[in-house]
Amino acid sequence: MSNIDFLALGPEIAVTAAAVLLLMIEVARKPSARVWGWIAGIGIAAALGLSIAGWVLGRGTDANLYFSDMLALDGFSAFGGIVVFTLTGIGLIAGWGLVTSLRRRGAEFVALVLIAAAGMHLMAASANLIMLFIALEVASISFYVLAGITRNRAADEAALKYFLLGAFASAVFLYGIALVFAATGTLSMAGQESFLGETILLRPGVLLAGIALLIVGLGFKVSAAPFHVWAPDVYQGAPSGVTGFLAAGAKVGGFAALARVLTVPLDAYLDDWAPAVAVVAVASVVVGTLLAIAQDDIKRMLAYSSVAHAGFILLALTAGDAGVEAVWFYVSTYALQVVGAFAVVAAVSGPDTGASPLDSYAGLGKRSPMMAAGLGLMMIAMGGIPMTTGFVGKLGVFRAAIDAGYLWAVVTALVATVAGLFFYLRVIVRMYMDAPGGDAPALEVGRGPAWAVGITSAATIVLGIAPWPLLNMLRDALPF
Amino acid sequence: MDFPVLTTLIVLPMAAGVAVLLLPRRRPELALPVAIAASLLPLGASLWLLVRFETGVAGFQFVEHVNWYEPWGISYHLGVDGISLLLVVLTAFLFPISLLASTAIKDRVHLYAASMLFLEAGIIGVFLSLDLIVFFVFWEVMLVPMYFIIGVWGGGRRVYAAVKFFLFTAFGSALMLAAILSLAFVARDQLGAPTFDFVQLLGVDLTRTAQFWLFAAFGLSFAIKVPLFPLHTWLPDAHVEAPTAGSVILAGVLLKMGTYGLLRFNLTLFPEATVDLMPVMATLAVIGIVYGAVVAIVQTDIKRLVAYSSVSHLGFVVLGIFALTAQGLQGGVIQMINHGLTTGALFLLVGMIYERRHTREISQFGGLGSVMPIFAGAFLFTAFASVGLPGLNGFVGEFYVLVGSFLSLPVWAVVAATGVVLAAVYLLWAYQRMFTGPVTLEENRGLSDLNAREIVILAPIAALILFLGIYPKPALDRIEPSVDAILQRIEQTTDYRVPDFGSGAVVDLVGEHGE
Repeated sequence: MSNIDFLALGPEIAVTAAAVLLLMIEVARKPSARVWGWIAGIGIAAALGLSIAGWVLGRGTDANLYFSDMLALDGFSAFGGIVVFTLTGIGLIAGWGLVTSLRRRGAEFVALVLIAAAGMHLMAASANLIMLFIALEVASISFYVLAGITRNRAADEAALKYFLLGAFASAVFLYGIALVFAATGTLSMAGQESFLGETILLRPGVLLAGIALLIVGLGFKVSAAPFHVWAPDVYQGAPSGVTGFLAAGAKVGGFAALARVLTVPLDAYLDDWAPAVAVVAVASVVVGTLLAIAQDDIKRMLAYSSVAHAGFILLALTAGDAGVEAVWFYVSTYALQVVGAFAVVAAVSGPDTGASPLDSYAGLGKRSPMMAAGLGLMMIAMGGIPMTTGFVGKLGVFRAAIDAGYLWAVVTALVATVAGLFFYLRVIVRMYMDAPGGDAPALEVGRGPAWAVGITSAATIVLGIAPWPLLNMLRDALPF
Repeated sequence: MDFPVLTTLIVLPMAAGVAVLLLPRRRPELALPVAIAASLLPLGASLWLLVRFETGVAGFQFVEHVNWYEPWGISYHLGVDGISLLLVVLTAFLFPISLLASTAIKDRVHLYAASMLFLEAGIIGVFLSLDLIVFFVFWEVMLVPMYFIIGVWGGGRRVYAAVKFFLFTAFGSALMLAAILSLAFVARDQLGAPTFDFVQLLGVDLTRTAQFWLFAAFGLSFAIKVPLFPLHTWLPDAHVEAPTAGSVILAGVLLKMGTYGLLRFNLTLFPEATVDLMPVMATLAVIGIVYGAVVAIVQTDIKRLVAYSSVSHLGFVVLGIFALTAQGLQGGVIQMINHGLTTGALFLLVGMIYERRHTREISQFGGLGSVMPIFAGAFLFTAFASVGLPGLNGFVGEFYVLVGSFLSLPVWAVVAATGVVLAAVYLLWAYQRMFTGPVTLEENRGLSDLNAREIVILAPIAALILFLGIYPKPALDRIEPSVDAILQRIEQTTDYRVPDFGSGAVVDLVGEHGE
């Protein structure tokens, strides 16, 4: 019954052990930042390795539930681990400037990133709603602290806003869990799936209300409209060195949870929740795109654009099971684009500052050709231009949604995509077509952002031109 | 498997673009010569294609077909037929010329040369793709280098023009993508598996309503690119603000992507809608012919004048296509080539005079004929070709289009014929104001005539203009089987009958065809 398998929990153990070790060594020996880097690096690499092992053993097979059906080891959770830990690694590399600028508190920062990673992976692996809630809180609380890590005014405001609204959303999510429990009598997703598959609820009102609250709660985490209002302030206020990790991590964890909750236990009610998801998706795409156009700060712009991207990803979920592949492709490649873009932001505005006005990008094409090319590529990818992962991702979600019968939503989203190009192109215009005021000096770029931009750019192009290996892999990354 | 010459045609410029980017930054003077030399390779490959192309065959040749991702039905499918062959050759021909005409570019030459080469790869890819997703990829990706070419190296309002160009085209293609995806699902319902393969999609049965909406979605995208009236407003901005080479490529080949798309996809995939909407498209085309010409007359900027003349000339191409007659379609295709040559040459000439005087206002010139006789001669020659003087290429195309459209749409043809007259008005009047009479301004007295490089740039185009004007048969022979196949398909799937001389066309002439 309480079947225990440490491979299912292996990645969490690896990163948590690294976080604890890091804090203890920090207290005892006060080592240099290099040592933190080594410990975190080894922890992440081990977690990534264990996720890959889980992938090799668990992909494509049916339910492998462990710890009294609390955790699932399937292609879905293993792929989630691969994405989360890759992202954590690149995120730390990109934000290493922030770690060193925090001096001794840098150790806390690194430990929090590792714990957040454990929470994000648990969000993809939970097979029980309470387990999912705990995973969500582990990740979210780490995120709140990370957003305010520099303790200046803007960061404090961002952290507090994120915390208050996030706590509210968690409460809503918990209420949703309670209602689904009331309707089904179990918290286990597998149990709910079989109960809802075999039983016809004469009065499904409680269940439907529960589903709605679950969607609202997770919609907040992935910043879907109209639950997105925290995103711009948090993105802008949080130090640039960590914003990319926060933004990408929240998306990956949130969508992993949403995909599993909607397509596994609630699969039988697809016809009830899919229209609601479609409406939220279209609202997100339209609101995110329109508000992004009006922004003068690149981080606020990326925040609103992330609202639009949440909408695109939600579109794929309208297809239920059939859309999970498209969700994974989109969210994993988009996460890389976000980390790459924020690595450039950190290089331009400094990793420990919040705001990053668009004007500071004028002439970046001359000041730092590599950073400009990287950011330009990310803008083009987010705009959905072919030969980047952004296009393949959009193709996948649109396919899924059209197949599910939501052509109207796809057409709206496509028109919004074009409107979105307007603000992505504006960044390119600033970088390449506006001359910098006076003789702007060349930009000093640290090795961290340079590596992060290089890796994410390469992935964006290679997987954009030849996405087939990843797509083939994703066919095994379905939830049980 | 045979040597994959089509893939080579796409990969060569792409690889050359990467190579140019990798050249040492400290030697910017190397970029352009290397790019020019590299662009001769695809030209060679395209000429090989031209020689090896089997005349008299309607289907696709040199086909390459690899499954890319079966669950989605995407395959890498390339092929060339009589319609795309000459457009590919034209593209490969115009790129070395426009690169050679880019010596005025001094800022970030690496990026410029690489952008041009990536653009070439994208355009050739558009003409060769037979899978709708691969087509869409090239269609959309080629916007990026063009956006940079206009936006970084263009004139005063370059950013506005570049963004407008990008957004107009992207808007059209957004709806086309929705249509492509929907089409694949219809195909899945009928064929058992989703497919984006053009050849397989021909076997899909579409309802009249579906055809209408799909035609509209594809058609909007192509009509923006052509551009068809009233979607042309991006064109004057983009053409005027782009650097010379950008204008040459825009007018020379980019616009043809729109007419090519109409011909390749709309006519064959949605034949019923084509027949239904034939008068609508022809009307828009004729409005474009007359409107473009009238607006061109009143321009004071010579580059804007040439830009508007494109609206008029592309109207002829669309009229020819939607005349749905053998002559009209052949005329449409050959006119695409002609317009690429003549308007390309006109933009080159405008660029040459601009480099000397840094103005394009017609009133700033006058009597140049005595100062720059070779330049004046070249301009007059090209203007005559553009107007459609018999013996030069423009005549062949316009004649075919007018004959073809007179068979099926006599009233439209009559109105369109005024476009030929108006073309003579705007071009020859511009010539008169710029080149004849005494020199009016002192600044113009010391202008140097064309140098050897500029003559080398213009000579091959002039030779082709003359050759296609005198002996268009080789070109027409290659086009004919492919357009005939399109018409046959329309006759097979609808109750439309193609009118021809001596085949009961007289009835059509009095306006009773189509019951």
